[in-house]
Amino acid sequence: MAYSSKVLDHYNNPRNVGSFPKDAEDVGTGVVGAPECGDVMKLQLKITPEGVIEDARFKTFGCGSAIASSSYVTELVKGKRIEEAMTIKNSAIVQELNLPPVKIHCSVLAEDAIKAAITDWKSKHEKDEKSAAAPGKAAQG
Amino acid sequence: MCSECGTPIAAELDYFAALGIPRRLTLDPRQLENLYHDLGRRLHPDRFAGSAAAIRNASLSATALLTRAFRTLRDPVSRGLYWLELQGEKLASDNQKVPPELAEMIFDVQETLAELRSAHGGDAAAVRDQIAASKAQVQASIGESLADLERNFARWDASVNHDADLIVQLKAILSRIAYLRTLSRDIERALEQPD
Repeated sequence: MAYSSKVLDHYNNPRNVGSFPKDAEDVGTGVVGAPECGDVMKLQLKITPEGVIEDARFKTFGCGSAIASSSYVTELVKGKRIEEAMTIKNSAIVQELNLPPVKIHCSVLAEDAIKAAITDWKSKHEKDEKSAAAPGKAAQG
Repeated sequence: MCSECGTPIAAELDYFAALGIPRRLTLDPRQLENLYHDLGRRLHPDRFAGSAAAIRNASLSATALLTRAFRTLRDPVSRGLYWLELQGEKLASDNQKVPPELAEMIFDVQETLAELRSAHGGDAAAVRDQIAASKAQVQASIGESLADLERNFARWDASVNHDADLIVQLKAILSRIAYLRTLSRDIERALEQPD
């Protein structure tokens, strides 16, 4: 199958490959996979307390389209607010990378990875809010 | 095939119906093989060489269907996937979260494979040993998951009200096997590469 030139570019020069420490407060990690082909994708976002995505890293083990999709989203999400990043649709990835129909699931994977990473970050911060709120209450009471 | 006279009939049948067996997940492989050979003989195109064109064609397509049915149903993984399809289920729908311990293992092994590609000499030998150990671990894990799959098959067949949770579990086990098989394939490929 012929890959589009954009897929090849991301595949040959993937952007933002690597990882952040997954336990860090400002890091959200999303690990998703495509069970039909066994591809796995890890996307990590570094997010400011105000909810702005500062930086992104990925590691994907899978086909060229899966690698290109994750590489592309690391660039796409940088500088966006999490609310905005949550609205990114896989169709935008399909369009940008010119993915053929059999590779659409790779773009779905990338979309799900963004959501999973943001959800992970939020869950870390909900815990913070709770633990921050609890002593406050105790002090009041 | 006509049950009265044994004439092949052209019909769209699912794989279970093609073999004349109930749509159950648990199958005895020997029984399946016997059925396949028996039906294959009775539907064989050679037996209808002198028949009308419609019957000859029906014999050909029935034989092709029978072969596809046998190949799909004899392997528990492809049987499970096919069965899900018949239920209108897709393996990937609502099922893209990889369990954390599985993901960790996949990323660990894949990173070791990447190391092997850039290692030389004695380093490469050490990495190879590590990968061989991972390979054994992955194979064992696949074996466990297959046993798990069979247990889940039996549970589904025995359940009266067909609990939807069982389908979720079935999908999880089949996905796990798919991830492990991909990993195992990648390990094989990495080990085939010369240093």
